[in-house]
This record gives sequence, structure tokens and C-alpha cells, in this order.
Amino acid sequence: MTEPLNSPLTAGDASPPPPPGAAGVPATRMQVAVGAGVLVTAACLAWGALDIPSNSGYGGVGPNFLPWLVSAVLAVCGIFLLWEALSGGYRELDAATGAERADKGAFVWVSAGLLLNAALITTLGFILSCTLCYMLAVQGLRRAAGQPAAGQVRTWITDLVTGLLISAPVFWAFTQFLAINLPGLTNTGWL
Amino acid sequence: MEIFDALLAGFATAATPANLLWALVGCALGTAVGVLPGIGPAVAVAMLLPITAKVEVTASMIFFAGIYYGAMYGGSTTSILLNTPGETASMVTAMEGNKMAKSGRAGAALATAAIGSFIAGTIATVVVTLFAPYVADFAVKLGPPEYFMLMVLAFTTVSAVLGKSTVRGMTALFVGLALGCIGMDQISGAARYTLGQPELLDGIDIVLVAVGLFAVAEVLHAAMYEGKVIDTQNRLGRVHMTKRDWKRSVPAWIRGTLIGTPFGCIPAGGTEIPTFLSYATEKKLAKGEDHAEFGTKGAIEGVAGPEAANNATVTAALIPLLTLGIPTSNTTAVLLGAFQNYGINPGPQLFTTSATLVWALIASLYIGNIMLLVLNLPMVSLWVKLLKVPKPQLYAGILIFATVGAYGMRQSTFDLFLLYGIGLLGVLMRRFDFPTAPVVVGMILGPLAEAQMRNAISIGEGSWMVFLQRPMSVTLLAIVLAVLIVPRVMKTMARRKLQRLQPLDA
Repeated sequence: MTEPLNSPLTAGDASPPPPPGAAGVPATRMQVAVGAGVLVTAACLAWGALDIPSNSGYGGVGPNFLPWLVSAVLAVCGIFLLWEALSGGYRELDAATGAERADKGAFVWVSAGLLLNAALITTLGFILSCTLCYMLAVQGLRRAAGQPAAGQVRTWITDLVTGLLISAPVFWAFTQFLAINLPGLTNTGWL
Repeated sequence: MEIFDALLAGFATAATPANLLWALVGCALGTAVGVLPGIGPAVAVAMLLPITAKVEVTASMIFFAGIYYGAMYGGSTTSILLNTPGETASMVTAMEGNKMAKSGRAGAALATAAIGSFIAGTIATVVVTLFAPYVADFAVKLGPPEYFMLMVLAFTTVSAVLGKSTVRGMTALFVGLALGCIGMDQISGAARYTLGQPELLDGIDIVLVAVGLFAVAEVLHAAMYEGKVIDTQNRLGRVHMTKRDWKRSVPAWIRGTLIGTPFGCIPAGGTEIPTFLSYATEKKLAKGEDHAEFGTKGAIEGVAGPEAANNATVTAALIPLLTLGIPTSNTTAVLLGAFQNYGINPGPQLFTTSATLVWALIASLYIGNIMLLVLNLPMVSLWVKLLKVPKPQLYAGILIFATVGAYGMRQSTFDLFLLYGIGLLGVLMRRFDFPTAPVVVGMILGPLAEAQMRNAISIGEGSWMVFLQRPMSVTLLAIVLAVLIVPRVMKTMARRKLQRLQPLDA
């Protein structure tokens, strides 16, 4: 019951503080990185705010007031986060759920699905592009769950069919019934 | 009587076959979304926002309200039956509900949650019906300085009071405000942070942020960190409450409603405080055998009270949304975005300019509550089947819907890349326990607050003193300071007391 209660900037109920040492050295390093990231964001926002005109018209504040305020407050928050990280870790931190370390392989699979979808949706059309995204993402999630059958041809085919079975009706429902523009491979409105 | 007539007219609009169908589909979809882990009501509404381009405003608002409501009912099912509660709103329900389910009383827990939600939802809807018009009448008298202060109050409570850490809450809020700055300034037309990208001139859509922060981040997080987590599911059993269950539930429902409703009305938001408060109240009031069930076999009051409090808060939160245009949660923020898509700005004028819409929406809440009771009590075993969908397929499928929401809004591939970036931000925020609600609320309320602030200062002829010269705005400023300071003072006092007691203990 020492550090968390001494922080001037923490609020909330009297949840028990995390056990000392629960956040190891790598965690501290990550927290420092997040604090630094906030500071960098604040700096970028300030740099961008230089380009915003300050003509304030009738009022005393122009369009550049809020950007400056935001970057100033974020800078203060960044400094506080850095200070917290370096003096025993973030206060009142709930340990995130799940594994300690990220499954990098799964991350790559899911990211590939999302980014390829973004890159290919106008060429392949919604149905095929989303099916591809689904197949890659489900592959990553299966591997993360340690499913032994993840890489087998049969699983890939099942996923292909499932992906098509989800994205095709979604495409039809949105384009045919709700008349929302989604890209197709052809101009028929069905593929 | 005026209100009664207006409500009747609202029922006439809401009860057309087409609108009833929208309500039913919304409720069913909302329940499904609530039951399924991984997506909540905010993201479901966000993903479906593109329909606002085609569907008429009353129908789509009825539909969205159904999702908003349905998810609350569905969420309790998951938190009772699974060992992992879905969202914060059902966290408290999970504490006792899960224990009840483990000792074979899942059916009773589900029943008391559904009936309690119905009762609380209906009572809170009556409160909305009776009080919202008066609040709107009052709110018409507020000027820009008062509005700005109200929004500051909402920002303060969402970021500094509700979360655990003020620094992380403030960081999240200002990241949201920064996102809201991107695009063309609405007063002067100056471009801000557009980096020369024409796509950014229109600003970042709320859909992108909500879908990215919740859906995409959830999928990425599941893949990266939760692959090995195994969920155990409790058996359902018969949905039935004994006479003793009823006797214990009814007072808890009423107390939960009484606690929850005021929390929804104030522009402070969040269901955590009222649900925890209701839980604490029930635990304190329970005696003997009932009290012994808390934390062991699972006490039914501990499910009935918080569930009622939750639904009452969520329903009453429509009062600040409709009358002041101030959202206090992720979902109400996205709902505000839906209104904006139609060029409607919720606020005091809404009750005069869009009276038909408002009253149809309120009437649909009554109808939706009844539909949800039917959908959730006799048909609960159907929804439970949704929990059997394997996680990898479920999460990968969510990405398809995320694509529809993000791409369908503006047909821009740029948005899909941005969606991925926001997803990464969401994972980072989740790993380091940053709250997400301040981002969404800050982003959607930020531009409105900025406009009010600049108008207020124009009224004051360039002087900031305008916020101190008007009684209402000074009062609101005092409240903002109080919510910031009082909890800290109380905490310091508690610590002092603890320090005084410790030597005695030792």
C-alpha cells in the first residue's frame, strides 16, 4: 500500500495495488515507450498546429486553439506516464487478460488478412477480398489456439467455403437490399 | 396530457408493420451481439451505420435502439454462462451470476436478469417519457457557455472519474479530441492535420474509430494474446424462478432501478458505478442464509439488483443524449453519430423539430422491452447455442463485418488502412489498460464542445470571463471542480484514517 496511493493523479476505488515487482523490467521498458509515444504524438500535434491559421474573427480563439491545447495536455500526460513508468510502473494497472507475450505469428497472419483486404478490395471485389481476409485471419487464430489441423489442405478448403458463405450473403444484403456501394469483381452486383 | 398524446402518436408511428420489423430485427441482432463475445453494441451500431444512407431516419433509429437495448439483455446471458464476462456493464452480474450457474442455478439467474432488465428498462422508459420533455424545455434556455460547461462535465466524468487512472483517462480523452480535430474546422473552414490527404479533409469517421478500437483490436488481441485461453461453459438448466427467488428478486429489482436511473440522467455516464453500488447495497441488506450465498453459491439479489441498475442507467442515458446532445458512453456516442448522419443534431430543439422521430423512438423502447423479454426468456436456449461458435471462425468473421462498416461509409480503401492502424492503437490501449470510452466520446463531442466554446467567447467579446459571468455556467464549473477534487480529498482522508489505524493493528 505505498506507491499507488501516493500518486496525485490517480482516482478510482480502493482496489488493491498490484504486487510490487509484478511488472518486470521489460514491462517497465514498454511503459516508458508508451509514455514516450504520447510525448512524440504531442510534439507532432504541436508541429502540425503551426500550420493552422489563428484568425479568430469575433471571438478570442481561432481554429488553432484546440490543437495547441490538445498537444499541451498530451505532453503533460506523456510526462506523467513516463514518471509513473520510471517510478514503479503505471498506477492502478489491471493486468491485461491472456498470455504474457504476444503470439507474433498469429499477429502477422491477421495483419496480412486485413492489409491485403485493404489493398485488393477494389480489384478482387468485396466477396473474394473478404474471403481472403477471413482465410488468413482464421488461419492465424487457429494457429494461436494451437489447433494441429490448422495448416492442412482440408482446413483451408473449409475456411474458403465458410468465408464465401459469410461474405457473399453480406455483400448481397448490403448491395441489393440496402443499396450500399461495395466493390464487385464484375458489374453484375452478384460477385 | 400533452405528453400522453405525443406518446400515443409515437406508438402509432412505431407500431407500423415495417417499424415493428425493424425493432424486432434490432432486438434480435442486439441480443446476438450481446451474447457473442468479441463485439458489443457500440461496434454493432457502428458497423451498421452505413445503412443510414438509405434507410429512413425513424426506422433506423428504432433499429439502432433495439440493438442498444438487446445487447444489454444478451450480455447478461454470456456473463452468467461463461467464465469470462463480456463488457463492463455485465461484470458485476458475472460475479454472482457465475457462482449461481456453477451451483446449478443458471436458469434462475438468467430469469432474474431478464425480468429485472425488463422491469428496470420499462420504469426508466417511463422516466424518460415524463422528464425528457421538461429537460428539453429547460435546456432551450442554455446558451453556449452553459453547453460548453456541460460538455466539459461529461469529459471530466468519462475520463477522470470513471476510470482507474486519471492520467490514462485524460490521455485517452485528448487522443480522442485530437482525432476529432482532423479535417476541416467547422467555423473557419481551415484545414487541420490533413497532411495534404484529401480523404482527411472530411475528418475521420466515428465508424472507423469505433470499429477499429473495438472490433479490429478485439480480433488482433484475441489472436495475439488469447489463443490458449479456454472458456468453460456452465450448464443452462431450466429457466425457472422459485417463490423464494421472486421474493428476493423483486425488492432488488426496484432498488437497482432506483439506483440506476439517476446515474443515467446526469451527463456523467458509465454503468460501473451504479452496478457496483447496487451490488454493494444488496450485499449489505441481505441477511442470514441469503447473505451467506454471496460469493459462495451465488446470491440471486446480486444478479437481480445490478442487472436492473444496468438497464435503468442505459435507458435513462437517453435523456442527456436526446435533450442535450451529450453522449456518455461508447454506444450513445455512436448513436449521436447516427443522428448526425441524417443532419440532425440532438439537443433541446429535437423535441420540437423532430417530435415524430423522438416519440416514435421512445415508444419503440416500450415495444422493444417486451420483445426482448419474449426473446430472452422462452428462447434463451437458442441464444446459448451461439456460444458454441468456435472462436477462430467467430473472430475472423467479425473482420468481414468490420470491412462492410468501414468501407461502406465512404467507399475509400484509405479508410481500410486507417482501420488497421486504429486497431493497432486499440490493442496497445488494451495492453496498457487505457480506457476506450474517452476516445470515442472525445472524438464525437470534441468538435461540438469546441464550437460552443468559440461561440461562448464570441458572446463574451473575446473574454474568457463569460464562463464566470453567468450563474448556470459558474454552477457547472463548480460541479466540474467538485467531481475532480472531492474523490481525491476523500481518498486522502481514507488514507490518513488507515495510517492512524495501522499502528493499532500492528
